Amino acid sequence: MTEVKLKSIGKSYGAVAAVQQVDLTIKDGEFLVLLGPSGCGKSTTLRMIAGLESITAGDLLIGGKRMNDVDPKNRGVAMVFQNYALYPHKSVFDNMAMALKLQKVAASEIEKRVGTTAEMLGLTEYLGRKPAALSGGQRQRVAIGRAIVRTPDVFLFDEPLSNLDAKLRVKMRMELQELHDRLGVTSVYVTHDQVEAMTLADRIVIMNKGLVTQVGTPREVYDHPVDEFVAGFIGSPAMNFIDLVRNDNGIWKTACCSLALPSLPLDTSRLLSLRLGIRPEHIVVNPDDEKGAFTYQATVKLDELLGADALLNLKVGDVSLLARVGGMDYPVKGDVLKIALPEARMHFFNPETGLAYDRTH
Amino acid sequence: MQLRPRFGLYALVTVSVLVSFLPIIWLILTSLKTTAGIYAWPPQYIPDPFTLDNYINIIQNSPELLIYVWNSFVVGFGTTVFTLVFGSMAGYALSRLGMRRAGILMIFILAVSMFPPVSLIPSLFQNFLQFGLLNTYIGLIIAHTGLFLPFAVWMLASYFATLPVEIEEAARMDGMGTFRIFRSIVIPLSWPGFVATGLIVFIFSWNEFPLALVLMTENAMRTAPVGISLYPGEYAFPWETISTATVIAIIPILMITAIFQKQIVGGLTAGASK
Repeated sequence: MTEVKLKSIGKSYGAVAAVQQVDLTIKDGEFLVLLGPSGCGKSTTLRMIAGLESITAGDLLIGGKRMNDVDPKNRGVAMVFQNYALYPHKSVFDNMAMALKLQKVAASEIEKRVGTTAEMLGLTEYLGRKPAALSGGQRQRVAIGRAIVRTPDVFLFDEPLSNLDAKLRVKMRMELQELHDRLGVTSVYVTHDQVEAMTLADRIVIMNKGLVTQVGTPREVYDHPVDEFVAGFIGSPAMNFIDLVRNDNGIWKTACCSLALPSLPLDTSRLLSLRLGIRPEHIVVNPDDEKGAFTYQATVKLDELLGADALLNLKVGDVSLLARVGGMDYPVKGDVLKIALPEARMHFFNPETGLAYDRTH
Repeated sequence: MQLRPRFGLYALVTVSVLVSFLPIIWLILTSLKTTAGIYAWPPQYIPDPFTLDNYINIIQNSPELLIYVWNSFVVGFGTTVFTLVFGSMAGYALSRLGMRRAGILMIFILAVSMFPPVSLIPSLFQNFLQFGLLNTYIGLIIAHTGLFLPFAVWMLASYFATLPVEIEEAARMDGMGTFRIFRSIVIPLSWPGFVATGLIVFIFSWNEFPLALVLMTENAMRTAPVGISLYPGEYAFPWETISTATVIAIIPILMITAIFQKQIVGGLTAGASK
């Protein structure tokens, strides 16, 4: 049973704080994804768990033991690096066997464990090769195998798929999922790719500027982002944001009045301005049923076919909106049409702080 | 697509090769001339008559040349080993172990090597005399190591800096200590850097003159450049002997360079990452 606990962990280089006060509990067997833009401190957090980076504040507990000053090899963690970090002068077998050799495990046992792992990852026929003679996907499998062979308590992944091409990435992502289902080892996975995060994670930790912004299941962070940053980061293409101000009649409008909302599903009595968010996939084009939605007339400025879907760049007066529609028979550039913004799918944020407002219904 | 012949490029290469090789070609030609041919005017471009007498002469009459070459070899080899051992450890520490003020130290090391070797002679001579290091291989090896270590530290430090740091981190996660990482990861991956640095240091040491002149005073301990330069007689420079001896002294260096040349080119880090 391995639970990883980060207690107010922080890392600063002199006066610069890369990570400030992160509190997290990674449950036993959980697949936790640290997600955020580059420089948000997610990699530093992972490296602090690995022991590659010293911890300047707080405590790290792995399996209940304080690990702040414990050598990486004694933490029971194994790490998969973004650029594989294989030993180029050693064979695949030796790459995978290195940790066991250093632990003075018997040669027969090493042979057995490497053999089993290689079979699981489809690497058996490559054991004698050097990394240079492998494809990118195979190299990453060796790197994963090297971690598995050690039977660690915790797996750490530092953007392991970012060096692979798009097709291979999807395949390896699924393999990682299967692997986790099979091994059930507590895993921490760092990525800046929100699709990877959504598909792999039991829970996602979204970080920004060295702080944790939100922790939740993929569903929670998608449906209920706590602030504008999370709302904009999760989902692709990003959420539309529209600034609204309240006029004297209590109606919410954009600055140039082109988009008006008579009432909002939250307590607005003390507000004068707010930011409305709606995801491109939630905008309804040519609605059949207008109940519970605000409808507007829009012009298509640009249409982009992605394949299964199409993206429409719409103009409602002076407001630009991105909408995602099905890839069949979609409106094209120049069309004028009706759109609906379903009230239930709207998000509301404080324009100054970016924090989400609680909905009343 | 057809490749256009790049005449400009070839012309440039030809010129630079000629500029650096002409003296050597001239040297070889001189060693194949008679004394009269060497002093002939207008100068002879093709030895006439062509003769190998100089080589036969030097082998018959100056057996000490082989001793000089051997001395140079021993000193050069020892210097290379010492320089690589200390240079690599210092270079690794400075480039990878996150030492504070590593940059300032690197510049300091470089500054030390800016002194002309002649300025070191008084202190070296007195101390070597005191410790009985004059006319010993180890003495000149220590002096040369001190002289060329800054260069080796810089060369190797910059080579280490090109290795992907993740490989070393992966080794740490696997359970290696710093020295083990250095020995079983960094050194094998830096082999081309070691060969290049070692080769250059060997050549430096082989050609070094002032310290070798002063610290090796016995004829039997002289290195090739010193020994050859002391050939001149009382009234005339025996150019045929000097050029022939020099050609012979170059041969070992050429051989060593040829042996290790392939190693320098090898791309050992291929496949480490990406």
